[in-house]
Amino acid sequence: MVIDLSPFYGTSNPFDRLLESLWTPLSISQRSLAYPPLNISEDDESIYVQCEIPGMDIGDLDLTLTDSSLVIKGERKGAKGKFYRQERPTGFFQRVVNIQAAISRDKVTARMKDGILEVVIPKSEECKPKKISIDAT
Amino acid sequence: MNENVVKAEKGLPRVKPATDIIENEEGFLLLLDMPGVDKEHLIIDLNEDEIKISGKAEYDAPEKRKIGHVEFGSGEYFRSFTLSHIVDKERIKATLKNGVVEIVLPKAAKAQPRKIEIQAG
Repeated sequence: MVIDLSPFYGTSNPFDRLLESLWTPLSISQRSLAYPPLNISEDDESIYVQCEIPGMDIGDLDLTLTDSSLVIKGERKGAKGKFYRQERPTGFFQRVVNIQAAISRDKVTARMKDGILEVVIPKSEECKPKKISIDAT
Repeated sequence: MNENVVKAEKGLPRVKPATDIIENEEGFLLLLDMPGVDKEHLIIDLNEDEIKISGKAEYDAPEKRKIGHVEFGSGEYFRSFTLSHIVDKERIKATLKNGVVEIVLPKAAKAQPRKIEIQAG
């Protein structure tokens, strides 16, 4: 049998998990219970949605862009065999990202690298900040 | 001490990757979720009976980007396991695909179940 004997990093009793939930790293502002975890950032050009979904091919993911939301859907399948330990989540998941800004829907790109999905949603021309030149008369 | 509090040298939070341990006919399978870790940053060490898996995931967002919502961040993954003697250490194989580390631990030939032939006397 493969035995997990790591006193410092291998413990996972309910008390540890409780502590873990209280001591989340400071860099993480919101830790929600929804799966998969995602980060949203933006610049002048686009909105970036990054999502931690290890073990999925981009073909297995179902990305839907509606008028005001991006839906990430998929299913994580478990391996076959006799489980001694199962911590990796399996099953269907779905997350919805609401998008308030005007976006150019045709130019949305998605790519998967090392288990991180990145969706780049370019903003449409209308909502990009524009400099207005003022002519002094 | 909790692994999220233990800070690694570079200040990255230490994360224990979620792991599945599965037994099948050939041996054992370790599956570790390590999203964001590429091949260059993954280290698997085998020292006698202990296998140590560590990796680093760093996300450097360009400075111009405004961060809206954060649910995951950079981290150092670390986990170790003790292998039993029935694992054939010479034939251990590891692959990294889509952020999942798959380590195949085959059973030694002598540990495989086999039929014993009965000879009629």
